[in-house]
Amino acid sequence: MLIFTLRRLSLFIFTILLLTLLSFSLSFLFPGDQLINLTGQLNASPEQLAILANDYNQQFGLLSQYFSYLNHLFHGEMGYSMNSQLPIATEVLNRLPATIELTCVALLVAMFFGIPIGFCAAIYHRKLPDNLILTVAMLGYSIPVFWLGILAILVFSIQLGWLPSAGQISLLFEIEPVTGLQLIDILLSDNEYKWQAFQDATRHLILPVIVVALAPATIFMRLARTAMLEVLDTHYIKAAKAKGLTFSQIIYRHAMRNAFIKVIRDVGLQFANLITIAMVTEVIFSWPGIGRWLIESIYQRDYTAIQGGLIVLSTFIFIVHIIIDFVYAALNPLAREPHHGAR
Amino acid sequence: MARDKIYQEEEFPTPLMQLWHNFKEPPVVLIGFGCFLFLIVLAVLANVISPYSSVENHLDHLLLPPAWSDEGNVSFLLGTDNLGRDMLSRLIQGTSLTFGLSIIVVIASLAIGVVIGSLSALTSGIKSSFLNHFLDVILSIPSLLLAIIIVAILGPGLENTLWAIIMVLIPQFVHITRNAVREEFAKDYVLASRLDGASSLRILRYSIFPNIIEKLISQATLAQSAAILDIAALGFLGLGAPIPMPEWGAMLANGIDLFYIAPWTVYLPGLAILFSVVATNLVGEGMRHALKVRKEN
Repeated sequence: MLIFTLRRLSLFIFTILLLTLLSFSLSFLFPGDQLINLTGQLNASPEQLAILANDYNQQFGLLSQYFSYLNHLFHGEMGYSMNSQLPIATEVLNRLPATIELTCVALLVAMFFGIPIGFCAAIYHRKLPDNLILTVAMLGYSIPVFWLGILAILVFSIQLGWLPSAGQISLLFEIEPVTGLQLIDILLSDNEYKWQAFQDATRHLILPVIVVALAPATIFMRLARTAMLEVLDTHYIKAAKAKGLTFSQIIYRHAMRNAFIKVIRDVGLQFANLITIAMVTEVIFSWPGIGRWLIESIYQRDYTAIQGGLIVLSTFIFIVHIIIDFVYAALNPLAREPHHGAR
Repeated sequence: MARDKIYQEEEFPTPLMQLWHNFKEPPVVLIGFGCFLFLIVLAVLANVISPYSSVENHLDHLLLPPAWSDEGNVSFLLGTDNLGRDMLSRLIQGTSLTFGLSIIVVIASLAIGVVIGSLSALTSGIKSSFLNHFLDVILSIPSLLLAIIIVAILGPGLENTLWAIIMVLIPQFVHITRNAVREEFAKDYVLASRLDGASSLRILRYSIFPNIIEKLISQATLAQSAAILDIAALGFLGLGAPIPMPEWGAMLANGIDLFYIAPWTVYLPGLAILFSVVATNLVGEGMRHALKVRKEN
């Protein structure tokens, strides 16, 4: 397990280094002056620019400039937003929790519904439920997410009036940000209307979560179906059948666990896809997250914001990847120990 | 399979022919393939068959509902939008933009990806390992974010988003080509031609590509459905095709303000995107199924 952890961590550090290299090279590629792109100081006087140039080792070679950029990153300095002239780190910290909340809830919802339905499809392989589920899955990952979001707002917010269409919480409630995650903050606060606020925040969360979760859920259905079919085809299932176990015993005790492990391994790969969907959904539902901020910053040519957003969002994805890798390794002993005797 | 041997010579279908035989088995796939061909025909003949120009304004027919509703007019079969432009013509011409361009995008990134992928399969050691990890980094950045960054470098506009999507799609082709080429290189028939003295390039051209092309095509259909969705999403966000262009995503964004009074301006382009993505996915599914069947036999 120690070796596994070390290997994962070294890979993580290497990946982050490559990512910073990418973001550093972006400051050259974006239109405009490289130093201004890197720091976001649009209105700096020549003297201030000289100080900044000194700060970022501009008089030395590229390698030295890169290391000084890394040094700034490690101290949490990502420059200033060209648009609002606030530090990028503050801007990101204000918005990242909303995205984390939306994407994590959506991921859990997608897994919670997608995986069991996929197992169901595999159990009824080539029968009516299987075909039905496959059709729904095909439609689910083919729907353009912005269209789905608009339709959801039209039906559930405007025509039926069941759920709110925009924002994270009604403006009536004042919640002290502690962790930044809205639902947890509400529970931590000592507001007397705590439960009303909690209900309101949940109602705001439902529609965006469903819109974000639909496509990943259908992909999980397909992954779970394939995994379950593979497991049901193995020898140990045949042995269990030969032992005379009932069908439900085989499914619950033997097949489901092994199939679940196979699905977990692929969940991480879907997460980048989920973030893409969440970025568009945030725009449609006016969700105050980092995706909407990034898309707005491209309208405003806020290059510093785009670089910062790239680093933060990708790091978030890598961390989720690693967490999922660890969950996978914890569930599956074969993944943490090297195969003995295998090539 | 029973075969009456009337003639002495035996006929072995090429890998692509075998694929086609397995591919056309399930009826659903054939329907999907039919829709796919239909879309290609629409995209090619868009200017010829669309009844009106995509930018022509019919000012006395603003926001006309589709012909099947009571206020509809049969000369505007799918209604008109807020500037009196015929929806049917715009949708047909949008086919050549959203769907047709997605094919071009995929072919371009396939070509570039295959070249890089086969070169990297032939190298080994630290260069190859670096490329591998670099690709992993690129692959784990959300595709839309990557496209946005490239659009930020190049500036908005339809042409630039196409470049962006080409670059976003390249890594997956590099990845799949590299793995497929590596896998084939380990096989005995490659060793046989190597013993005959064939160079690596010759082996790639004559032994390996015919055997991996169907894997690449099946990846290409996956990439194409992603490309359609990405072109439409960037158009919707206002970073891709400019509003007057009949690109489906941009049409949808244009209709959003009028959604409540003229819902057809939003649900028709959405349905068009859904239809083309489903058709593409059905073709891809059929392809993967056929590959699996051929492997099992």
